[in-house]
Amino acid sequence: MHKKVLSKIDLHYGAIDMPKGFEIDRDKLQLDILSSQIKNSKFPFSREWDKLNTYMREHINLEHNFTLINKETWGNAYKPQEVSIPLLNIDPLDLRNSPDYTFLYGVKVQDCIVRIHYDQNRRAGRSWDISLKNNEFIMFPSTQMYYITNNQKDSLNFILTTTYEFI
Amino acid sequence: MAHFAKIGMNGKVIAVLTCGNGDMLNADGVEDETVGQQYLQRHNNWPSQMWIQTSYNTSQNKHRSGDDSKALRGNYAGIGFEWDEDNNIFWPKSPYASWVKDTTTATWKSPIGDAPALTAEQTAQNEASTHSWVYNWNEAGQSWDLTDLKA
Repeated sequence: MHKKVLSKIDLHYGAIDMPKGFEIDRDKLQLDILSSQIKNSKFPFSREWDKLNTYMREHINLEHNFTLINKETWGNAYKPQEVSIPLLNIDPLDLRNSPDYTFLYGVKVQDCIVRIHYDQNRRAGRSWDISLKNNEFIMFPSTQMYYITNNQKDSLNFILTTTYEFI
Repeated sequence: MAHFAKIGMNGKVIAVLTCGNGDMLNADGVEDETVGQQYLQRHNNWPSQMWIQTSYNTSQNKHRSGDDSKALRGNYAGIGFEWDEDNNIFWPKSPYASWVKDTTTATWKSPIGDAPALTAEQTAQNEASTHSWVYNWNEAGQSWDLTDLKA
């Protein structure tokens, strides 16, 4: 008896384990998110973002042997008790130019839950909840719809999103 | 041009980058690994001590030029190789769980040594292309099994 997996929904998550003294300055990323939202401009390139992006690309290549290519990056601030609208980073009418993976990074978060929706054969509409913490990431196929929830009452949650293609 | 391996937190090579010879000259104008490490730290946001020079021309502790005194750190590092600071060697992934490191040749060896040599008759049959005898490692049995690939 043989088995062949034709498709998969792979969820990658964990902490960004940078060397001591080279940790990602999340305050800088938080400021960049705020600034890009206030000015309604693109998320700016920075040394901190480059450290994070390089870490992900190199470690995904090392651990899983595939190469990520950047598509877009933006940041969001979620208000206390806010539940995002359903988020989907592909354009169903333009799959050729849509990303393969969505990467979420906890810049400054507390009580933050990401709910990822998926189908398992005829069992449609299932969901998986995973908490996002500071300096941790979640990466999953961009074809999955997801919600972000800020369950705390005190402050904004800052999340950085990057989309990737893979080869 | 020099090559440097970027070492991850788990001691594995996560990337290999080049560094121009001019970027690793010390005050005396001599190529210095430390200067190259500092250059890479400055431009790649990764600590200098986690950049280790590796030689493109070194494999199994031998140098391509034939002058093995030039061999550097056992093997040319590749992504996924393990950096062994104690032995100063880059190790590829072990082919089998039971194999052990041979620091002299910077290679992995079976616990019972190399595969036996083929007999004269087997060699002759291989040359005549009637058979293709090889020894394959049997991890479960911890032995070298003689196999005819043409069988």
